[in-house]
Amino acid sequence: MATSFLSRRSEFWRSDWFAGLLVVVAVVALHKTTNLVESLERRFYDVAVTSSSRQPSDRIAVIAIDDQSIANIGRWPWPRDVHAKLIDQLAAAKAKTIVHTTFFFEPQVDRGLVFIKKMKDLLAGAPADSAPGSADTREQLARVIAEAEVALDSDGILANSIKNAGNVLLPSFFTLGEPQGKPDKPMPAFALKSTLDEGSGYSLPAIRGQQPIESLGNVAIGIAHLNQIQDVDGAVRQEPLLVNYYGKAVPSLALLAAVKSLNLTPADVKLNAGDSVQIGKLRIKTDESALMLPQFYKDRDGKPAFAVDSFYDVLTGKIPAAKYADKIVIIGATAVGVGTLFPVPGHPGLSPAQTIAHITSSILGEHFIVQPGWGTAAKFFIFLLIAAYVVVALPRLSAGMAAIITLALFVALLGVEFGLLSGSALWLELMLPATVLVLGHLALTTKRFLMTEAGKIKADEESAETSRMMGLALQGQGQLDMAFDRFRRVPMNEAVMGNLYSLALDFERKRQFNKAEAVYEHMAAYNKDYKDLKTKLSRAKNLSETVMLGGGGAHPGGTMLLDGGAVEKPMLGRYQVEKELGKGAMGVVYLGKDPKIGRVVAIKTMALSQEFDGDELIDARERFFREAETAGRLQHQNIVTIFDAGEEHDLAYIAMEFLKGKDLVDACKEGQLLPVPKVLSIVARVAEALAYAHKQNVVHRDIKPANIMYEITSDVVKVTDFGIARITDSSKTKTGLVLGTPSFMSPEQLAGKKVDGRSDLYSLGVMLFQMLAGVLPFRGDSMAELMYKIANEEAPDIRIIRKELPENLANLIALSLSKRPETRYQDGDQFAADLRIVLGTLTGDFGASSADRSSKSTTKAAAASAGDEKTVAFSSGASASASPGADFQKTVVRSSATASPPQKTGDNPGSATKSPGTSGTVADIEI
Amino acid sequence: MIYTFCTKTDPGRARENNEDSAVYDEATYLGVLADGMGGYNAGEIASGMATAFIRSEMARWLSEVGKNAKAREIRRALEICVDNANRSIFNAANSNSQYSGMGTTLVVAVFLDSKVLIGHIGDSRCYRLRNGELLQITKDHSLLQEQLDAGLLTLEQAATASHKNLVTRALGVEDAVLLELNEHQVDPGDLYMLCSDGLSDMVGDPEIANILGAQATLEQKAERLVAAANEHGGRDNITVLMVQAATGGEKRGLISRLLGK
Repeated sequence: MATSFLSRRSEFWRSDWFAGLLVVVAVVALHKTTNLVESLERRFYDVAVTSSSRQPSDRIAVIAIDDQSIANIGRWPWPRDVHAKLIDQLAAAKAKTIVHTTFFFEPQVDRGLVFIKKMKDLLAGAPADSAPGSADTREQLARVIAEAEVALDSDGILANSIKNAGNVLLPSFFTLGEPQGKPDKPMPAFALKSTLDEGSGYSLPAIRGQQPIESLGNVAIGIAHLNQIQDVDGAVRQEPLLVNYYGKAVPSLALLAAVKSLNLTPADVKLNAGDSVQIGKLRIKTDESALMLPQFYKDRDGKPAFAVDSFYDVLTGKIPAAKYADKIVIIGATAVGVGTLFPVPGHPGLSPAQTIAHITSSILGEHFIVQPGWGTAAKFFIFLLIAAYVVVALPRLSAGMAAIITLALFVALLGVEFGLLSGSALWLELMLPATVLVLGHLALTTKRFLMTEAGKIKADEESAETSRMMGLALQGQGQLDMAFDRFRRVPMNEAVMGNLYSLALDFERKRQFNKAEAVYEHMAAYNKDYKDLKTKLSRAKNLSETVMLGGGGAHPGGTMLLDGGAVEKPMLGRYQVEKELGKGAMGVVYLGKDPKIGRVVAIKTMALSQEFDGDELIDARERFFREAETAGRLQHQNIVTIFDAGEEHDLAYIAMEFLKGKDLVDACKEGQLLPVPKVLSIVARVAEALAYAHKQNVVHRDIKPANIMYEITSDVVKVTDFGIARITDSSKTKTGLVLGTPSFMSPEQLAGKKVDGRSDLYSLGVMLFQMLAGVLPFRGDSMAELMYKIANEEAPDIRIIRKELPENLANLIALSLSKRPETRYQDGDQFAADLRIVLGTLTGDFGASSADRSSKSTTKAAAASAGDEKTVAFSSGASASASPGADFQKTVVRSSATASPPQKTGDNPGSATKSPGTSGTVADIEI
Repeated sequence: MIYTFCTKTDPGRARENNEDSAVYDEATYLGVLADGMGGYNAGEIASGMATAFIRSEMARWLSEVGKNAKAREIRRALEICVDNANRSIFNAANSNSQYSGMGTTLVVAVFLDSKVLIGHIGDSRCYRLRNGELLQITKDHSLLQEQLDAGLLTLEQAATASHKNLVTRALGVEDAVLLELNEHQVDPGDLYMLCSDGLSDMVGDPEIANILGAQATLEQKAERLVAAANEHGGRDNITVLMVQAATGGEKRGLISRLLGK
């Protein structure tokens, strides 16, 4: 059970829905602890709100105490008679309501005024007669003092102006907070005039208040608060319409200005607690704290929504005061260091006076933004909807679909909020669900991406491992090229380097240095200093330029590289190639060793692909293996044993018994002839071997001295190359020439007829002739002539060349060289038996008698003879007989002592005797 | 018949490396599992080579032959393929000294329409769950099994034997290997599980049957099997390859079902 729980839990951590839930929770937590979402919401609100097409009221004007005014009038604060003067002007122009935002909390007392008052009191208190000077002077003095008193009493002047104007509103300021007990001081009577009774907690409570000085408060028609509430981001978006001072609700300047401009009194203001403030018929929607969301109008054509005139300009009459007739005039500071600027929607910084202008206009034009009562529920519902989408729906959607739906939802959320704000002045806060949506989508997409990425990397790794394994498998099968191809797909690492290194060694063993080089190059790209890579690479480079086994068309059966000491020993099939022994008809012969059993073998190679093309190649290959198989079946003491055959790098090879001996080519040359008994004994043994082979239905087809191995010390004779001739004979080579020598061919073989054992016996006869006479029975200057002679002319009597030979031997030879197979020896055993009979009749000192003859034949000095008896093969380079060496050049005890004296002979075979009526068996032959 | 595959492997608790390897090819319904042996990483190489090679070669052959392959031909192909894999591993072991002596067990399953061909070498097993009944359908090539067969050991003795993982046959240790190949009928609902001895040595058959018989997805079952083996010690690498047989047609898409085709 624990298992299943464990597995389920691990699933649950990784699941998409859990990630979605996590995001929702995280965003809510973020929303609660920081102002991030709120700030976003406000930003969006600002943009949307100021995009509204609502027009500001044209009844509102702003007169700014700006830098210009300060520069011209003097340092702030100004004497209050300056303000009085402006109020006088505005009153004269019949402004509707004057809102003065300057705080007049302290009396402004000129330092001279105190003395003036003292002097006045002194003057008034002194008896008329005690004072110096005349009564007239005293009266003058009293008048000046009174004038000075009036002129210097600026508070009095301002109070007077305000009283005269009769429509001036002055600000008070409250410290907001929850009151704990009784107020520090009761609200003065003049301030109470403008307040409303409110005890239901609808307005923001205050604990302390600052009011204008009594002299001014008494004459103002209303005192209203100038408290501004900053939002989370420091901007002003809400207007507290009422501030509650111990049960008395003080209206804001904007609200009171609106009330006054509608010719109403605070008594006409009705409070619908928690919902709205009603002025006459005008209902101002608020939240539960009497906070109103005013409209902030956007600037038009670069000009502010409300014209701001300079105080100084109005004072000096540059701007006629008549402009302000019937307007709500708001006077306030904008100059640097005088007023405080607050950012509001659409404006980076706005003075309180301008803010009041916007708010008053909002109230009068009913341009406020409302947070509807159903808003909270709607917000919550939409939030749940989006959260559900993120947690439930999103994990089930495909990436594309999810992106589309998320985008659509996001646009819809913002669009609804924007539309409601700018169109219907309804504020539905949807930034939280929008944030959840975006973050949730991003989180899930990222998670999925990371997951698939991880999965992909894993899959890549797996397939790389598979490739490596396949590479090893293919290498194990000897398919090195395919193995390299696989390894190349694997990202490099130490393990692969090891595999590649061994692959390169395998290539080297097969003498494919160019491929080994490619492998080394591939490895060097990853790590040049791996093991002895550098030396391996440079050597492979050098070697790959040399002609290698089976490679390069210029050298048929090109030589193997054997001297590169550091190179891995070359392999042919399972055999290690030790050294080159010589060149054969179609390829090189090597000394090889089977490393498993330590057997030394001779490996005969044939570069089939260089001799044959296309179908012929396939044919030749097939034949090769068939013949190798048949030859492999032969087990005879006088036949070389075949161990193995195979093909590698287009090089067919036959591994056979390695013989310490030499072929009989040299023994056919004049001066090196073997003694007659020896010759007969050798040929007899060959004949017996042939008899055995023929019984197995194997025809040698290429019996000649070069194919008979003889080891003189142990007197061992072995026939080699069984069947191999078949692969080459009568086959067209690439150059269209027939390979091999026809000198030993029987007439029927030359004619291309089907041959049998008797053909081999004919060839053996030719060989016997040559071994005894030192010349071939038939010679010709051209191939055509030779072939004609073989086919038509009777072989010469050997005794023409070597007179001392017994007649029975001459007859035997003549019989073996009979043109028609039927009239020759019918099997090797007969041949052998006849030879042994002749051998038995030879005189003991036969060898000596032969020496006498030597001088005789020197008359016939056919210089050409040396050439004649050799080759008639015209494929010059590849010709077997043209190559000076024999197939086996292994150390040999040279035959020497009994060499026959040189015998030259003319090419007149005319005197050859016919073998009369010799047909059938040996027994018929007279000895 | 439709087959669903799932595999899971885990190094277990006692070993750091994982010498097991399991792969499948869903297109040709082929599953291969191998448990390698040999020093260093050679076991991984051997099992990896075996699974990669057999999967790649067999899947290629099967997809070339198509659905009409006769069981007899598949048998032959499988034998040749395993033989080739054997030789490549053997040669690789001989030619790379660091891999010398490596080898691997093998279970390979080729699922046909109503049959399954299961070949195995060594002590990796194939189980079948049919109608809630668990049956081991391969017989280990292990010394233990031979002793059991010869009556030298009782089942009880075998359970406590110390030489549990001596196999008598393995891929890649000689130049030829005999693959034991059997054919079984497949019923819809059958659940086949190929596993390495890391599972079968650690978890008893009844528990395996319980896990396989539970209501869960193939992945969950595989995970539970591995977890169970780990709970019982996890002394060897644990690998399972599960194959669920179901009647054809279940995989038809929604659209085709809607169209009533």
